[in-house]
Amino acid sequence: MSLSTAERERYRRHLALTEMGEAGQEKVKAARVLIVGAGGLGSPAALYLAAAGCGTLGLLDCDRVDLSNLQRQVLFDSTRLGQAKAEAGRERLAALNPDIRVIAHAIELRAANVREVFGQYDLVLDGTDRLATRYLINDACVILHRPLVSAAIHRFEGHLMTYVPERGPCYRCVFPHAVDGMVANCAEAGVLGVLPGVLGTLQATEAIKLITGVGEPLSGRLLTYDALEMRFMEFRVTRRRDCAVCGDTPTITEPKDMQRQTTPEGVRRLTVAELHELLQRGEKPLLVDVREDAEWAAGHLPGALHIPLGELPQRLQEIPSQSHAVFICRSGGRSMAACQMALRANIRSPANLEGGLLAWAGTIDPSLRVL
Amino acid sequence: MTCTVRIASPLRSYTAGAATLTVRCTLAEVLGSLEECYPGIRFRMIDEQDRIRPHMRLFVNSSEAHELSAKIADGDTVHLICALSGG
Repeated sequence: MSLSTAERERYRRHLALTEMGEAGQEKVKAARVLIVGAGGLGSPAALYLAAAGCGTLGLLDCDRVDLSNLQRQVLFDSTRLGQAKAEAGRERLAALNPDIRVIAHAIELRAANVREVFGQYDLVLDGTDRLATRYLINDACVILHRPLVSAAIHRFEGHLMTYVPERGPCYRCVFPHAVDGMVANCAEAGVLGVLPGVLGTLQATEAIKLITGVGEPLSGRLLTYDALEMRFMEFRVTRRRDCAVCGDTPTITEPKDMQRQTTPEGVRRLTVAELHELLQRGEKPLLVDVREDAEWAAGHLPGALHIPLGELPQRLQEIPSQSHAVFICRSGGRSMAACQMALRANIRSPANLEGGLLAWAGTIDPSLRVL
Repeated sequence: MTCTVRIASPLRSYTAGAATLTVRCTLAEVLGSLEECYPGIRFRMIDEQDRIRPHMRLFVNSSEAHELSAKIADGDTVHLICALSGG
């Protein structure tokens, strides 16, 4: 795929790199890269890959631009509020580089569509903020033999890893599975705005290296970045022979949506409608809100006891064993972890509020502010 | 004998924000010391069967520790790495 005169001018600094040259730039032009998640990580990755002349760039995101995104999602500006991220991002990238083709996928990635979407691309960047999607992307990349550059962030810390098919470990080799509630996300814990800028830019770097064959990919190494200490560290990780997707006898042979968390024996499931009915009847179950301080301060149910999940083990004695406590969080993940801790402490029949306060705000009280 | 422990960002709510701690020394003892200082932190990393939870990886210096019996030498650093989900 040869370069035009205008392209030779645009990419002159790349062509000056002997490691890349015209042949390398032609590979970038021919490349088809999908970015899943047009958020903090996807924004800088998309901007740099578009600027670098990545010939086909897919942007997959089903969300809309929110004011709280603009602190870190540099693909968007204030004029884009309320617009679909995939389409707004496509327009921004097309303005940056009209020579490339940008495809907007304003959809949620699911097992049902992942083959069709990934089939259009040679390389995938994971910048999603959903744990279930992270595993779906990894499994699909292993099964479909697509290289994957995966990054994740939390507060001031970031991780980066590259999966190269048949060569090194996959994300599931490093973290075989994870449970919501055990793994915090940015909405709950916050994130330094510039942090995904660093990690997303590193993802774009890895992508260009994989496309051109220049350098050594971050395969078999987990890179961690601590912004507070300004420290990068690297840990060797190896392929697990018992990995469920890339191991010797894989049990995951088709991309699948992560199953909803099962409710352990002894934990009651309570819908927001059921809790509302209990409260309407005048019953006063002990409500234990396990979210972080800032989330609690934004809004909470009247009369609830606030014990952040991290403090729960040493504060379980505040919950009477016969109280039939109802544990509450943002979406039901952390409260499930709290129920399991309560069970271990012999607190009888703890209940998990399914869907958490997001469900409560969605169906019972829209005035409740949930971060 | 003591070693340094570097704490994953999601676990720093247990350690009053501390990123680095100094404790004493097999991996089981290290985690025991942490638990003494910060009750509840071990449960986030180790399950009821004393297995490292699947969203955690523990490293001694740059080598992964798969068992709690892993030996730790004077001056080693233990890294607690936790899966992150933010994007």
